[in-house]
Amino acid sequence: MSSSPDPVFLHDAPGPGWFGPWGGRFAPETLVANLEELEAAWHDFRSDPAAREEWDAVLRDFAGRPTPLFPARRLGAELGVELWLKREDLLHTGAHKLNNALGQALIARRMGKTRILAETGAGQHGVATATACALLGLECVVYMGAVDAARQAPNVERMELLGARIELVEDGQTTLKDAVNAALRAWVGDPEAHYLLGSALGPHPFPTIVAGLQEVIGREARAQVLDQAGALPDLAVACVGGGSNAIGLFRGFLDDPVELVGVEAGGTGTSPGLHAARFSGEGGAPGVLHGCHTRVLQDAAGQVLPTHSISAGLDYPAVGPEHAELARTGRARYVAAGDDEALDAFLRLTRTEGILPALESSHALAWVLRERTAGRLADGLRIVVNLSGRGDKDLHTVLARLRRGEEES
Amino acid sequence: MSRFASGLRGLAPFVMAGDGGLDLLPDLLHGLEAEGVAAVEVGLPFGDPIADGPELQAAAARALAAGADLDGVLARVAAYRAAGGGLPLALMSYLNPLLRPGFAAACRAARDAGCDALVIPDAPLDAAPSLTTTAAEAGLGVVGFVAPTTPPSRAAAVTLASTAFVYVVGRVGVTGAATRLDGDLDALLAAVRSAARVPVALGFGLRDASTVAAALERADLAIVGSALVQHVHHAAEAGGDRVASARSFVRSLLAPTRR
Ligand SMILES: Cc1ncc(COP(=O)(O)O)c(C=O)c1O
Repeated sequence: MSSSPDPVFLHDAPGPGWFGPWGGRFAPETLVANLEELEAAWHDFRSDPAAREEWDAVLRDFAGRPTPLFPARRLGAELGVELWLKREDLLHTGAHKLNNALGQALIARRMGKTRILAETGAGQHGVATATACALLGLECVVYMGAVDAARQAPNVERMELLGARIELVEDGQTTLKDAVNAALRAWVGDPEAHYLLGSALGPHPFPTIVAGLQEVIGREARAQVLDQAGALPDLAVACVGGGSNAIGLFRGFLDDPVELVGVEAGGTGTSPGLHAARFSGEGGAPGVLHGCHTRVLQDAAGQVLPTHSISAGLDYPAVGPEHAELARTGRARYVAAGDDEALDAFLRLTRTEGILPALESSHALAWVLRERTAGRLADGLRIVVNLSGRGDKDLHTVLARLRRGEEES
Repeated sequence: MSRFASGLRGLAPFVMAGDGGLDLLPDLLHGLEAEGVAAVEVGLPFGDPIADGPELQAAAARALAAGADLDGVLARVAAYRAAGGGLPLALMSYLNPLLRPGFAAACRAARDAGCDALVIPDAPLDAAPSLTTTAAEAGLGVVGFVAPTTPPSRAAAVTLASTAFVYVVGRVGVTGAATRLDGDLDALLAAVRSAARVPVALGFGLRDASTVAAALERADLAIVGSALVQHVHHAAEAGGDRVASARSFVRSLLAPTRR
C-alpha cells in the first residue's frame, strides 16, 4: 500500500480545512450547508471580543483553568529525567475534552442551536458534552458503542445524571468508530442540531475548531514550563486517539526547538486488528473516513480495519489530519505503546506520584518509561507529558486486568 | 457519447453488488434491462456508509461478507457488457475503496469495465482539487448531489458540474425512510431542472409504485435503493430467486407508469 497521498489531494495552494494534502470536507451534501455555517460561526466566535471573554470566564470559573504543570519529582528521579505533567486530569469532568465541549457548546448557542449530538468512546467527551449542555441549557444526545458503554460504565451513569440521552450503538465493533458513524447519520437526519465532534478530526471545519479550542493546553504549558523550569522542554509527549489533546499540546511548541511525540495505541501487537496505530501499525495508509483525508487503518480493498486498545479513547482507526501533516513534514513523530505498557505506566504513576492517569494518557507516559529504560532518551531530558485525563473511569478495566494477571501467575 | 444523455427517463434501481453473491450481478443487470429500467446504480459495498440507513448498511455488510470488492464488482460489470448489456451504469461507492488502487486507476478500471459514471456520497464534487477532472480524464461522468439543505447558488454550481446526472436527495436524512414529495422539493427540483444539461434524478426514500410515479412526474430518473434491496433480501431468505424477485419488484414499481 502506498503511504503517500493520492494526487487528487495535491493542491497548488491548500485552502481552509487542508493541512497539506490532508483534511478537507468529505461529507454528504446534506451536511455541507451546516459545515459552512459552522465555519462562519467559528470565525465570528474567534473575532468577537465578548465571545472571547465569555469563553475565558467559563474556562476559568467553571472548568478550572489554568490547569497546573506538575513536576513529577519522584518518578522523574527514578527515571533520571525532568518530568513535567500537564494536569488536564484536574480539569472539571476529568479530561481535556471539556475545553472543546464548552467552546463548541458556546458556538452552538450563538448559532441558535438547541440540540447537541455527540459521539463518545471513553465517555469523557460524552460527559464533557453533557456537562456543557447542562451548563448552557441545551438538549444532549450521546452516541456510544455498546462495548464502550460496558467498559466505561461510570461515565454512562454520569451522562444520564447530567440529563443526556444515551443512544447505544450496536453496529460493527460497537466502539468509537461506530459511534461516529451513528452520530454522523443522526446529524444527516437532523441538521437543525449541532454535532459536537469530540476530537480534531471529521470534515472541515471540525479539525480546525477542535484544535483551536484545545490549543489552550499548549499555550499554558509553554508559559508554565518557561516560568517554572526556566526553559523550554526537550520533548512534548501526548497520546493520540483522534488527536485533540496532542494537537492542543503541540500547538504550543510548533515554532520552538521542541521535539513533539504522539503516542498511539499499540494494543497487543502490530498485526491488523490488534492495535490502533495509524502511523506505526500494519494497515495504516492514506484514506478518507468520517469526512477527512488522513491516515486510516484499512485493508487492501479500502475497508476500515477493526482496532483494539485497552483504552476506549484511543481505539479508533483514523487520526486527525493535522497529525498526518506533522508526520509527513517530520515536525512530529508518532510512536506506539501497548496495552501492557500502558497498564504498567498507570500503576507506576499512581504509586510514585499519587495520580491515577486515564489509560489513554498512560500511553504517553508508557512511551517515556520504555524509551528511557531502553536508553533511547538521554539523561536529564526535560519532558512535558500531557496527562489528558484522570483514570477513575478505568478502575474497572485496570482491576479486572490485575485480577486476571494474579490468576494466571 | 455518454449513456447518461439528456432525454434519459425512467426508473434507476440501486443494487448492492455482492449481496447474495457477486456472480449474480450480470444476470441481475440483464434482468433489470429486460424490465425496461432506464439505468442502474451499482453499489460497491463499504463497511462505514455514513449516508446510509440500516437497510443498506446491512446489505453492504452481507456483500462484504460475500467477498465483494472493486475488482470483483468491475469484473461482473465487464461480463454484463461482454454479453451485450447496454444500460447506463453508475458505480456508487464511498470514496475510500476508490482511493486504494489510486483514484485515477480506479476510474480507468471502472470505465474499462463498462461503467459510465461515478456516484460518491461522501465526496461533493468540489471536495478535492482534482476529483472530478481525474474522473473526466478517465472518461467517467460525475454526479453531484443537491439536498434540501443545499443553498440555491450551490445547487446551481453542483448542477452545472454534474456530467452524468444530478442526484436530488428528496429528503433530509440517510437512505431508507420514506420521502414526502412536498412543495419545497418541487421548488428545488424545478431550479435544478432549469439549469441541468444532464438528466435529473430523484432518490432517497422512494419505496413503492406511487412514490416512483410521483417522482417521475418531477424528475427524469427515479432511484429506488433500500426498498428494492430489502425486497430481494426478504425474498431470498424465503427461498426465492433474487433476480426473479428483483424483476417482479421493478415491474410492480413501473406498472402504474406503464398503464
Ligand atoms: C483522557 C483522554 N485522553 C485522550 C483521549 C483521546 O482523544 P484525543 O486523541 O482526541 O485527545 C481521550 C478520548 O476519549 C480521553 O478521554
